[in-house]
Amino acid sequence: MSEFNPRENYFVLLAVPQSYEVSQSDLTRRYRELQRDAHPDRFAGGSERERLRAVQSSSQINEAYETLVSPTRRAAYLLKLAGVDSDMSSTTFKDPEFLMQQMELREELSELQSAKDPEAALDVFYRDLDNAADKQKTAFSKHYDQLQYDDALASYAKLQFLEKLRSEAELKERELLDY
Amino acid sequence: MLMQISEPGQTPEPHQRKLAVGIDLGTTNSLVATVRNGSAQTLADLDGEHLLPSAVRYGEEARVEVGETAMAGASLDPRNTLMSIKRLMGRSFADVSESAGIKMSPYELLDLGQDMVKIRTRAGDVSPVQVSAEILKSLGRRAEETLGGELTGVVITVPAYFDDAQRQATKDAATIAGLNVLRLLNEPTAAAVAYGLDQNDEVAIAVFDLGGGTFDVSVLQLTKGVFEVLSTGGDSALGGDDFDNALAQWFLAENKLTSLDMFQQRSLLTAARQAKEALSNQNEVELALGEVSSTLTRQQFNELVDPLIDKAIRACKRALRDAKLRTDDIHNVVMVGGSTRVPRVRERVAEWFGREPLVDLDPDKVVALGAALQADQLVGNRSGDEMLLLDVIPLSLGIETMGGLTEKIIHRNTTIPVAMGQEFTTFKDGQTGMAVHVVQGERELVEDCRSLARFELNGIPPMVAGAARIKVTFQVDADGLLRVTAREESTGSESRIEVKPAYGLSDTDIADMLQQSWASAVDDKEARALREQQVEAEALLQAVSAALLQDGEAMLSESEQRELLAKMEALHHERESGTAASIAKHIEIVGKGSEVFAERRMDASINQALAGRRVDEI
Repeated sequence: MSEFNPRENYFVLLAVPQSYEVSQSDLTRRYRELQRDAHPDRFAGGSERERLRAVQSSSQINEAYETLVSPTRRAAYLLKLAGVDSDMSSTTFKDPEFLMQQMELREELSELQSAKDPEAALDVFYRDLDNAADKQKTAFSKHYDQLQYDDALASYAKLQFLEKLRSEAELKERELLDY
Repeated sequence: MLMQISEPGQTPEPHQRKLAVGIDLGTTNSLVATVRNGSAQTLADLDGEHLLPSAVRYGEEARVEVGETAMAGASLDPRNTLMSIKRLMGRSFADVSESAGIKMSPYELLDLGQDMVKIRTRAGDVSPVQVSAEILKSLGRRAEETLGGELTGVVITVPAYFDDAQRQATKDAATIAGLNVLRLLNEPTAAAVAYGLDQNDEVAIAVFDLGGGTFDVSVLQLTKGVFEVLSTGGDSALGGDDFDNALAQWFLAENKLTSLDMFQQRSLLTAARQAKEALSNQNEVELALGEVSSTLTRQQFNELVDPLIDKAIRACKRALRDAKLRTDDIHNVVMVGGSTRVPRVRERVAEWFGREPLVDLDPDKVVALGAALQADQLVGNRSGDEMLLLDVIPLSLGIETMGGLTEKIIHRNTTIPVAMGQEFTTFKDGQTGMAVHVVQGERELVEDCRSLARFELNGIPPMVAGAARIKVTFQVDADGLLRVTAREESTGSESRIEVKPAYGLSDTDIADMLQQSWASAVDDKEARALREQQVEAEALLQAVSAALLQDGEAMLSESEQRELLAKMEALHHERESGTAASIAKHIEIVGKGSEVFAERRMDASINQALAGRRVDEI
């Protein structure tokens, strides 16, 4: 989706160590510092050229921040930096435990409608999703640090899967709670 | 920039303040504000009026009247007195002819196809951009006369949900008015700025903006002068006018009145609005139309408007959901727009958010005040404690891909400025051109989104299908304006355009499209599956046809060829009229049916490759 520019490493740009574990507050603080200097509003009185350059660098800072702040996009970015193709279109899972968990989560999702208190059931579902995702994040971090990229890739694929479930749940939430 | 160099021993002049103003270009009223003596204030006209009615009259002898004077002519000269023109900005005739407010208007609107609608007046055919320019010109003049000098720049506010065309139209109007636009600022963001709410701790706030015709809600994160919009949403067909209508409907039912003429309708709506306003301070009111009258209590009024407020609350829920926050996380709720004066609105907002909303600043002026603060900073009058406003894009941007599907490139609620690129490839062997169709909206099918622009990328070198790499880049600047470029990566053939659509989405379109995108998520999925199968069927048919042309005669018997062609024929038929499942079934049949053929071709090519080589070489 996003443009990959190998000349500019997002971790370097945002001054956080290149690792899956990042401090959200450090990221956000550095992001705001950078935008304070780079945002086009700083160049409202500048030349056309200066303003165009500001739009470009401010965009890049936004892109870097949004990539690193999202657990899934951050994982994909790290894989990219390691030269691992993270295109998931043809991935199949060979992990029976994860497949079982997926089936259980899917069942939970489909039963939301008939729950006595759908809102509470949704909260439980989101918590289950979060727990499952946390497990994969920990696994990704460990594999990545130990340069086990195939295993890291598998954890990333699972994270993506869980994210897809989450967006399906959000759609369902809108239906159920009449947004 | 020129440097100021002073003689040694001489101090430079005290920092010269530049004149900058914020303008709230509203549907009903407009305002201009500036920062004086350290605080933002709105500027009054010679009669002491701060609000300028957003009305323009094209009078006799090429006289153009703006504001109160123009309004005075409304009943005598309705066709030449233009009001609520903001609803027409960046809109085509087809966009606005559906909306009720315009249908009721006495203007003669000109249908210019895809281009922005124009209004026929005695001064000729005028565009909404020109009419808005008259209002901006009047406010600019007021500011220069009051402040005694030329304006360096202005910040103009726009609704957060304004799309590319509406923003561009607003900017164009300012240019026509001779104003230097420093920035287009979203109205809710401006309101948050006006309240300041500067704190050291990071807090989230919601801006609840209920105007005459529209409802806008934004969730922002504030910390040390940084205003970061997390999400924005609303209902562009919900406002105080709907309250008046509900009251009028109640009155009609109460008195069993059926048909009113235009004049009576107008007086009833006016009486309803007055009754609504009176109920803000008293517990009951008399609503009368000629001889007929009814008493309305505040309790009854509340019951009438509750369903409308429910809609606003639903939009708040969605905005919070998008911001990934809960009501407990919201530290303050800022009220904007005249309709937030209705006590029931305040009650319901307080109840839902679990806290009393902020109403300290005049809800009609708060947007202009925030814009003034931002303008003051942008011209460099404010130093040190600089604010940073990080806004988002309200609707997703994407392009059309195979089968009429939308590929989203920038998702709504992404922080701007933003640049995103996406690679596409050719579908047919030797394809040298590619049409790029830019759309805005949340739905999966192109036909359900708003078309923004089309352009063609030519001169792609002929290659096999899938080999070309075409990169399309979307760049949205801090004003929310879009520029699209496309480029063929392997050869660098480039087609660069700045998208300036002649029209955009109508306000109701945007709300409808957002709502429908949820309601029809299921529809979309089926439609998407169908398109995907259609695309796959087409690709398979092309591949097999090409292979048949090349090797069919040589490798298949006549009956084998006939059999395969029949299967392809059936798939072709399903592709035109079948469902996703039936097409998938026929894809499988053709796939199976061509297996033998594929094997023979494979064998043939291996044989060819091996020809002339000795076994031990392999």
